[in-house]
Amino acid sequence: MRRGLIATAIAVLAFAAVGTAAVAKTTGPAAPAQLAACTNVSLGVLAPLTGPAAFLGQEQLSWARFAVSQYNRANGTRFKVALGDSQLSASLARTVGRRFVANDDIMAVVGGSTSQSVISSAGLFERVGLVSISGSATRTDLTSGQFSTFFRVVPHDAIQSPNIVRYVAGNLRARQVVVLDSQDDYSVPLSGAVARGLRARNVEVDRESVAADETDFSSIVANVSDDADVVVFATQTASAAQTLSNQLREQGKDAIVFGTDGAYSPTQYKPRLGYVSSFANDLRFLRSARSIVRAYNRFSNNKAFGTFGPPSYMAAWVAMGAIQRACADGNATRSEVTTQVRRTNTPSILGGRVQFTRRGDVRASKFYIFRVNNGTYRLVG
Amino acid sequence: MDWDKLVQLLVNGVTLGSVYALVALGFSMVYGILKLLNLAHGDVLMVGAFIGWGVLGWLGGAQDPSVAVWILIVLMVLAAMAGCGVLGVAIERFAYRPLRRAPRIAPLISALGVSFFIQNSMLLLFGADFRSYDSFDLVDVEVGIEFGPLRVWVVRLVVIGAALAMMIALWLLVTRTKLGKAMRATAIDREAAAMMGIDVDKVIVKTFFIGSALAGAAGVLVGLVFGQINHFMGFGYGLKGFTAAVVGGIGSIPGAMFGGLFIGLAEALSVGYIEDLTRGRLGSAFSDLVVFLILVLFMLLRPQGIFGKPEVKKV
Repeated sequence: MRRGLIATAIAVLAFAAVGTAAVAKTTGPAAPAQLAACTNVSLGVLAPLTGPAAFLGQEQLSWARFAVSQYNRANGTRFKVALGDSQLSASLARTVGRRFVANDDIMAVVGGSTSQSVISSAGLFERVGLVSISGSATRTDLTSGQFSTFFRVVPHDAIQSPNIVRYVAGNLRARQVVVLDSQDDYSVPLSGAVARGLRARNVEVDRESVAADETDFSSIVANVSDDADVVVFATQTASAAQTLSNQLREQGKDAIVFGTDGAYSPTQYKPRLGYVSSFANDLRFLRSARSIVRAYNRFSNNKAFGTFGPPSYMAAWVAMGAIQRACADGNATRSEVTTQVRRTNTPSILGGRVQFTRRGDVRASKFYIFRVNNGTYRLVG
Repeated sequence: MDWDKLVQLLVNGVTLGSVYALVALGFSMVYGILKLLNLAHGDVLMVGAFIGWGVLGWLGGAQDPSVAVWILIVLMVLAAMAGCGVLGVAIERFAYRPLRRAPRIAPLISALGVSFFIQNSMLLLFGADFRSYDSFDLVDVEVGIEFGPLRVWVVRLVVIGAALAMMIALWLLVTRTKLGKAMRATAIDREAAAMMGIDVDKVIVKTFFIGSALAGAAGVLVGLVFGQINHFMGFGYGLKGFTAAVVGGIGSIPGAMFGGLFIGLAEALSVGYIEDLTRGRLGSAFSDLVVFLILVLFMLLRPQGIFGKPEVKKV
């Protein structure tokens, strides 16, 4: 018995030692910059391809592939896509990040899709000079200087929260608001900022919180006062916003749901009346994007899309442009690609141009507010 | 005291608790007979939810069903029960029976493997997107019972009623039929039951069929009342169902029913009142803390659960 216990203890200790060694290996000093021949180059796509946010990850992957296909055709290049499924889990994003770092063919990463996946992977990328460009991570402090190789083509939440506050308190004239977060790195800071902004405008605010994978909001809804006008729900899953909206109706509450970024999904979030704030416009509302929408529909066989795909298209486009410039002499290092991303100045399919600030934010960007009526989305702000 | 809120939370808690109770019954029945924690039980619920969704789509969908709504719901539940019953029997045959004489850790690990296998198979078959029952199109949200300012949607009443009916039917089956007597005998002493002429294998197969069928029904009820289903929903319901079974007394059928309702109510009431009770220190996000604290307290203070009997070991 005692021998067995000792053997088990040794096995556990050995396992822990191996694990520690593995961690030490991945968190060790930065690897030297390796010169890579530019013949077999891939873009890593880090997104939730399965799990609760798969709808957004699959859309991003599809648009990234579309970008690669268009870029290759236009420039005679042979870029490929390497997949990394983060499943909306920070630890999985880190695992995928390690895989991307170890793959010398990957010269740039499109993603991570969510703020928590960026937090857990961008440090790994930074160590080897690998650039990552997100098309949807909006947490403000991601570009506070902590990750020097991280860029994003969408605005950050310090722009989103005042926008939501202005619309809810000003346009909707809400006097009583519930602000609901889903307990993750994206929604907690955003909800906090929205709640503070609303209080500053003398709006009565009640803060609530649910787990990100919650499917029943009925008891949260019981906490919503009959007099509440709006429930601002910072969520990464559109189906959660839809369920919340249904259960408010079920309990006879008149409050409307004001979802954020992840709630934008004409197929999954379709309340009688609701609002969504999003980091990008829907391409279908842009006259200048008609030809790209037609081309995408042909490419994807009319796959549904919302606001998540097109920014990832731009992220992939920016990455490929930078790699091609860095490869002008036949080979390149990951750091050279990062330098080239920093110098980006290219037209965007979303309107305007993509140029980055010193910290990696996209210049001159804004959030968009949509009104939703039974699944029909209309740009209102 | 806001009485409307309290009544609303009680309704929510009983609805949730009814689902947990159906899951807990499956855990309890299998544990009672095989002393095995069937960790794949929550995933059987998930498969049931998908079968119900498939039947709903096959019969025209929520917007335009080709049969009366009540017939549709009955068909969804029956199909899910049949499908999950067969799945349960298959799990027992291929994952647990070969390990019946192995150390107790072996079937436990096999159960974990089955859980992942089912989850990933569903991901492969149906993709990662959430599927919607569109219950609000199926049954209008205005249809229900009014309690003063409070309205209870009829689907919640259907869920509570259906769960109650199934629990009573199971209790009658276990206490009043020959099969029930055989199940109880097998649970008390498998070898003695075999010596008395009971076909123990057959009893185990039937137990798995019934327990899994109840989980399948619970899956459809979850889809109907909460609207959205996905391939990983089984884990959460399985975990809460297991907690309910332990709190009620694992192996005890009335215990599973009581435990389910107890956990459902604890969860709903903690969401509603935890902030007031802790003067704002804890928010509704901590409702699971309350649920699993209850589990820990029961394990420490009354490990046999409310309806369970302490195990006497003779030397």
